[in-house]
Amino acid sequence: MSLTDQSQVTFSYREELTHEENHVPMILSAIDPLTYAGYPMGEYVVIAVASLSIFHGGRLIGDYKAQSRVTKPYSMYSQPTHRELDDAVRVAVREKIDRELYADSARLVAAAGQTE
Amino acid sequence: MQIRRVWWRQLVKPNERCGARIALLGLSLLTAGCAAQGKPYERANAPSNTATIYVYRPYNFFGSLMHPTVRCGNESAVIEPGGYHAFVLPAGRVTCSTSTETADLLDIDADPRVYYVRERMGWGLLVGRPELNPVDDDQAQWEIQSCCVREP
Repeated sequence: MSLTDQSQVTFSYREELTHEENHVPMILSAIDPLTYAGYPMGEYVVIAVASLSIFHGGRLIGDYKAQSRVTKPYSMYSQPTHRELDDAVRVAVREKIDRELYADSARLVAAAGQTE
Repeated sequence: MQIRRVWWRQLVKPNERCGARIALLGLSLLTAGCAAQGKPYERANAPSNTATIYVYRPYNFFGSLMHPTVRCGNESAVIEPGGYHAFVLPAGRVTCSTSTETADLLDIDADPRVYYVRERMGWGLLVGRPELNPVDDDQAQWEIQSCCVREP
């Protein structure tokens, strides 16, 4: 992807989500009084791995990778949707990539200038 | 084994034994009747530029009487315990959802390939709560072949 058709700078971004789930056996949850007091009956885990590569005229000038993990428990009284989990982990991993990118911005500008 | 039989005979009178057997038979028929009937798993023939989303529901006694509707894109299906349904949809962003007293939503940025989603019923305050859990291909292919049949 590039900002304009004429731009020499192109971006390649990839994001991959992995889902896990852990549940207390239902028979144990049913007989456990803590279940009815709102104690978690399990949890959902989503792991996001993202990578951003920046090319200038076919030459790699920036390569950033980040990983985030979001864990949300669920109980009798609250249960997140998978959309909420996915959105949360995407925001987290994109913030990490953004931070890496801004921290490296001076070098990136210099690298882009050298290839002009 | 002999001790168990004596204990059983002393506790339950002969006419009650017959009733207990009928009750056990009825219970087994009732629970067996909840499971989906159909053909074993086979890959759906999908045209190119379409995504196939298999939503499957392994049998679990808890919540087996509940059959919430699962929607993916514009299609919907009721999946019984031990059954699966293949949603063949145009590639793009697809939202799958299901609900009883709570709802679960799952967004899939669908490429023209196969995706697997496992439906599970969890505990709820009044009724069971359905969940739609995305599953990796390797694990899902093994699970769906061993647990589920295609519903007519």
